[in-house]
Order: sequence, then C-alpha cells, then structure tokens
Amino acid sequence: MTRYLLLAAVFALAGPAAAHHGWGSYDAAKPVTVTGPILTSKYENPHATLTVKGSDKEWTITLAPTSRMGNRGAQAAVVAVGRTVSAYGYPSTVEKDEMRAERITIDGKTYEMR
Amino acid sequence: MLDSAPGLFVALEGSGVGQAIRQSTWIYMAANVGHILALAVFAGAVAVLDLRMAGAFAATSPGHVLSCARRVVVAAFLGLVLTGAILFTAEASHVIMNRVFQFKLALIALGLLNVALFEIFTAPKVRELPPLAPLPAAAKRAGIASIAIWLMVAASGRSIAYF
Repeated sequence: MTRYLLLAAVFALAGPAAAHHGWGSYDAAKPVTVTGPILTSKYENPHATLTVKGSDKEWTITLAPTSRMGNRGAQAAVVAVGRTVSAYGYPSTVEKDEMRAERITIDGKTYEMR
Repeated sequence: MLDSAPGLFVALEGSGVGQAIRQSTWIYMAANVGHILALAVFAGAVAVLDLRMAGAFAATSPGHVLSCARRVVVAAFLGLVLTGAILFTAEASHVIMNRVFQFKLALIALGLLNVALFEIFTAPKVRELPPLAPLPAAAKRAGIASIAIWLMVAASGRSIAYF
C-alpha cells in the first residue's frame, strides 16, 4: 500500500512540476514596450485584454483580473478604447503578437499588473 | 483532433451567461475560490473513505465510515461540478481544446467508473463488516485507485492554465 501511495504522490507532484508557470510561456528575456492607441478593450475575467496599435504592429495585451485592476485604480474607463497606453511586458512564445503586461502607463500614471 | 472548438462550446462561451461571468467583478473569482474550497472538502472526505477501504483506521466500523464520508464526498463533488462549470463557461471554446483539460475529463470518467463498480459490487460486502474485520481485496484496490485518480484529477486541473 505504501508503494501505491508513493506512486500517487509522485503523480500528484509531477503534474505541476512538469508544467510551465503561467509566465513561462512569456519570454521575460525580451521585454517590450508597446505604445499606441487602444483599439479594443475587454474588461473581463480571468484577465482584461487590450488590442493596441503599436508602432510596429497590432498587439494583443493581456492585463490582470479585473478585481485587481480595479483595486489599483485601473477601472474600465482608464483602459477605454481611444486612450493611449504604454505597456511594458513580455511577448508570448505561443500566441503571435500577444504580450503580457507587467505594468501599463496611461496619462502619466502607472498601474502595476502583478 | 479538431483544430477549433465545436460550435456548442463557442456558443456557450458567447452566451449571456458566459458574458455575465467574465464581466462580473466577483463571479469568476468566487467560482475560483469555491472550486478550491470544494476540492479541499472533497479530498478530505475521499481520503477518509479511501484510506478506510484500504485498511486504515481498522478499529472503526467500515459501513459507518463509508456512509458518513460518502455524504460529504457527494456534496463536495456537486460543489466542484457547479464551480467548475462556471470557470469552464467563461472560456469554454479555449478550455475544451486544452489537452490537459481533456485528460482531466477522462480521469474524472475513470474515477466515476471506479465509484460505480465499488458501489455496485464491493460496498454491499463491506457495509455489514464489524470493526477490525479484514476487508475484501476489491475494497483495498478501489480505495487506492480512487486516491491516485482523484489526486491526478486535481493535479491536471491546476495544470490547465499552464498548457
């Protein structure tokens, strides 16, 4: 029985250990700053997302859960369509033209997303 | 393998319910917290039941432990299904295509099959046994399999976000 329990424990631990961390699919070695007007804004869970017309291309920017953004002063009106945002973050290694923002700056005010 | 989600799941995600879950500040968060709480209760009750079937706590009445723990297991499982359905609906078209989620569904099916076989064939034999009586080998096997399967379900559930 001990043998089976150990086996079960190995399975249980091996799952998460082998998995990538949520930030693992973003390349932290190549941070980018995307600045431009907000084209679309989805203020939704599990993460708010923007599309932004950057200088090079159109980016999809993943932000934070809406409750966290709200707590930090970044309500839906702050990240509304048409406003200019500067987002610092890491490009996705999976999704094309997607990045996850570490922080965003709008009208001179910076909001941390982590 | 399909390249994109079946229409049913696209429709589910796009439905008013799906939108309401995503746009609410608290529904998704509450479902997330509730899913973990239900899991904690489920795992605790499953551990009691399965360890008893595997031969632990031999001085207790197996039938009594079984019927008490089963009530908690069933209630917690319903809580898991409800909160899980909320989390799923918010992102149905993505989640249904996730390999780890598909693996988790298969494991849940396996776990429920184990429960069904145990309840039909083994539980009736265990119910009337006195404390300290040796349990049938089938009860031991079912208990150990159950612990292993449900731990793997939990591990794969947490891993969905990372694949």
